[in-house]
Amino acid sequence: MKEVEELNLPDGLGYTDDHEWAQITGATVRIGVSDYAQDQLGDIVFVELPAIGDTFAKGDEFGTLESVKAVSELYMPMSGTVMAVNTALTDAPELINQDPYAAWIIEITPSASSEYAQLHTAASYLDLLKG
Amino acid sequence: MSQDMKTTPLHGWHAQKNANMAAFGGYEMPLWYPSGAKAEHLAVITGAGLFDTSHMAVLTLHGPTVRALLQRCFSKDLERCLGPKKTPLIAGRCAYGVFLNSAAGVIDDAIVYQCGDQDYMIVVNASMGGPIAAHLRQHNREEPAAVIHDLTDKVGKMDIQGPAAARILGRILNNPAGVFEKMIYFSFKGTFDPQNLPGGPVELIDSTPVMVSRTGYTGEFGFELFVAPEYIEKLWHLLLSAGEAESILPCGLASRDSLRAGAGLPLSHQDIGPWVFSCNPWTFVLPWDEAGTTFTKEFLGAPALQATDTPPCTLPFAGFDPRKITISDKSLVTDLNGTPLGSILTCTTDMAIDRVGATIVSLASPAASGRPESFVPRGLCCGFVRVERLLPAGTEVLLTDGKRKLKVEIRDDIRPDRTARKPMQSML
Repeated sequence: MKEVEELNLPDGLGYTDDHEWAQITGATVRIGVSDYAQDQLGDIVFVELPAIGDTFAKGDEFGTLESVKAVSELYMPMSGTVMAVNTALTDAPELINQDPYAAWIIEITPSASSEYAQLHTAASYLDLLKG
Repeated sequence: MSQDMKTTPLHGWHAQKNANMAAFGGYEMPLWYPSGAKAEHLAVITGAGLFDTSHMAVLTLHGPTVRALLQRCFSKDLERCLGPKKTPLIAGRCAYGVFLNSAAGVIDDAIVYQCGDQDYMIVVNASMGGPIAAHLRQHNREEPAAVIHDLTDKVGKMDIQGPAAARILGRILNNPAGVFEKMIYFSFKGTFDPQNLPGGPVELIDSTPVMVSRTGYTGEFGFELFVAPEYIEKLWHLLLSAGEAESILPCGLASRDSLRAGAGLPLSHQDIGPWVFSCNPWTFVLPWDEAGTTFTKEFLGAPALQATDTPPCTLPFAGFDPRKITISDKSLVTDLNGTPLGSILTCTTDMAIDRVGATIVSLASPAASGRPESFVPRGLCCGFVRVERLLPAGTEVLLTDGKRKLKVEIRDDIRPDRTARKPMQSML
């Protein structure tokens, strides 16, 4: 298990209390899980993805990550409509363990871009993890 | 780590290797190392894995009345337990069974080792040394009374499991050919304490005494090794070095759990426990006569069992992909219409198996058993359910956590082509 200081928490992303990240990429937002989440879960063996076109509010469950340890729900960091899902994760869920920031899970069109400002910065997320 | 949590002598090594640790049976134990539980699970299927199992408890029993005591308290009939001819337990052989209470509930499961004419060893689960010793003392009625020692935390134990286990272990033993000769499944040689427990001599290359038992908790070929606690770190490092060529991996409790579930082995206090020990895959440890209708001995719990095999039933299952259900107050088993059938006892993912058509195939399966040439298993959810009626193999049921539903199939067996019983000569 990684020490907090060893975690990779890139700047330029917004983080949630539930360990998702959101990244603004032009008009859309990519969503994934943090290095802390993948380290805690261990090997991820299955990813349940939503359908393109599904609409969720901030905090809604949009899928699950299946690790050797448990089933974990994924929650929306921002409200929006699913424009794309990372189908590479269907055959290779371990990509999330290998690089949780390259292995985005869904891409949404946000319905309230202002919600991004409510997310943790890398620094405040690190403070949260330090407790 | 909470202050009352116990550790094994290898705890510092686990921490230094950044193992993900968790509480189990009162001990802080590794769940997995940075290589990950999937790699550890697959290592035991294709090569070798090494497990720290010093959290398990060892008892020794000495004296002319031990056998009578065990016949009264242990489920196996020690006079009829070896091989197809059901011959008596002898020195150098061991037997798996359960200790039942008078209501036929399981206190714990155990392996009983006969070490000499009047010397036995019992291996039970973490934190169960005290309760089983107390239970045996309560029933220790004959004269002279059996001498019972609870050696909890006084014996070092580790398991080397996987098809490469004998080749690796052989490199660190004196006279490996002699040790492995005629070492059949559920036999053992040596002792961890030559002063007090007969057996041996089996030694590491530096003359350290060791007990080598051809047993394990993975369903795969391998050994459980017992040494005095001061030698455990040495043995651990010797095996990891000796197994480098086979890419041996230290393995944590997550892979131990997924391996044993796929092998159809119960976890005590989860799959078996304080309910009547009947209608489950493990009733072969009861002393059935040849017709399977009456018991061949009197033992604690037998009247409550009444030699019946009635529901609720504990049954193995396997799913159709790696998804599983987290067990909670809300999780349950239903039929395909959603009518409740019972509870989920174990639900994990065996990462070495997948379905090829309707058949479950393992990474260890030969091509002749239907393993495709480039077989990359995704893993299958598997475990045990406890349901109100006996369901035949092939029955499909739903597992639910209150939100999601997973269809799984009741099975007779889960992971095929396991190696635990393979002839020793084929594994050297």
